[in-house]
Amino acid sequence: MKARQRIDRGVGMNYGRELLKGNTDSLLLCLISRQPTYGYQIVKELEKRSNGYFQFKEGTLYPALHRLERDDLITGKWQILPNGQQRRYYYITERGQQVLAKKLATWQDFSTAVKAVIQAETT
Amino acid sequence: MSSISHYLNRFKASLKIDHTIRDGVAQELYTHLEEKTQELEEKGLSKEEATNIAVQSLGSPELIAKQIYETHAQGSWKEALFSALPHLLVALLFTSYYWQNIVYVSIILALTVGIAVYGWRRGKPIWLFPWLGYYLMPVVVSGILLLSLPQGWGWIAALLYIPLVLFVFVHIVRQTARRDWLYASLMLAPMLVTFTWFSSLGRGNELLASDWAARLQTNALWIVISFVALAAATIAFIRLKQRRHKIISLLVPPLVVLFAVVTASGGNICSWSWLLLLFSLSAFAIPLWMEARAYE
Repeated sequence: MKARQRIDRGVGMNYGRELLKGNTDSLLLCLISRQPTYGYQIVKELEKRSNGYFQFKEGTLYPALHRLERDDLITGKWQILPNGQQRRYYYITERGQQVLAKKLATWQDFSTAVKAVIQAETT
Repeated sequence: MSSISHYLNRFKASLKIDHTIRDGVAQELYTHLEEKTQELEEKGLSKEEATNIAVQSLGSPELIAKQIYETHAQGSWKEALFSALPHLLVALLFTSYYWQNIVYVSIILALTVGIAVYGWRRGKPIWLFPWLGYYLMPVVVSGILLLSLPQGWGWIAALLYIPLVLFVFVHIVRQTARRDWLYASLMLAPMLVTFTWFSSLGRGNELLASDWAARLQTNALWIVISFVALAAATIAFIRLKQRRHKIISLLVPPLVVLFAVVTASGGNICSWSWLLLLFSLSAFAIPLWMEARAYE
């Protein structure tokens, strides 16, 4: 019984991780489109807005940001703060906004369809 | 050494890309760690505890380095095809008697020099290195040909010219290798193929047999296969994400070329040629050996 529960929990976690992996680009683009932001702030925002649901190894954020920058969806600029610290702020590009709009539309359609199927099953 | 410095050193040691990109990401990670540490300290944790938690929450530096490498190391299809273009042009020279036509050879040479200089000045993009390999070739070949000048002039010219060539050659290889040893291998690959074929043109103790041109033409099909294999390996190298796959792609052309040369010459290769063959293969293997050492 315990083993079964452990397996069920594991499946749930893996599914959640896969969902996060598949939607990382949309989440990042969405946050960056609201205001130019930097790595650590993105991590905190993701955690805050998801009520702690999105938890991951923070370092994996940077390869994702660099991948988006390589694909010309965001652009990074260094800024020096009054205390001398350097931060790299990310800005969404025009192409990034177009891609985000498409991704959000697809997600809405997908989410509506999934909800409709699940509600039909449960009622 | 603080755990943040140790973490960043591990990250930098694992990431073999352009040092400006590497240092930029390291700076981003440093800022992240500093801010997280500061925040945890404000919550009442000691400096040491805060730093350790910050480092742990960032995850494995080797994994981040691997993912960053995969993002930056993969070139586009356009870059891959442009990188393979010089190999295909040389293959084209041997599909007929074009290699004997001074006009065709001059056009390709001028194109190679122009593109190599342009790429070098434009921040050494990934497509540059094969072009750079061909760009260096006439410089090296001229040095070898100087040895055939009559009545001792050859050695005098060689004494002046060869050190200069070596200086330029070593400088460019070092600059390239500083960025990535694998790019140095990619750059040296056309030389390997050319010198390996050159080595098959000797006879007895002669480095170059009298009928070398006829033999070159007889072997044209194998030469074309060699350069097409090099072009295919270059495309694979640029498009592949993982470093170990890139290394494997670079090991294919020398094997194809070695097989082609031995088959075309029927195993009849003179002692000078074996020496040259060995030198070419070693020159190609050095960057890969350095890469393997870096992993240890």
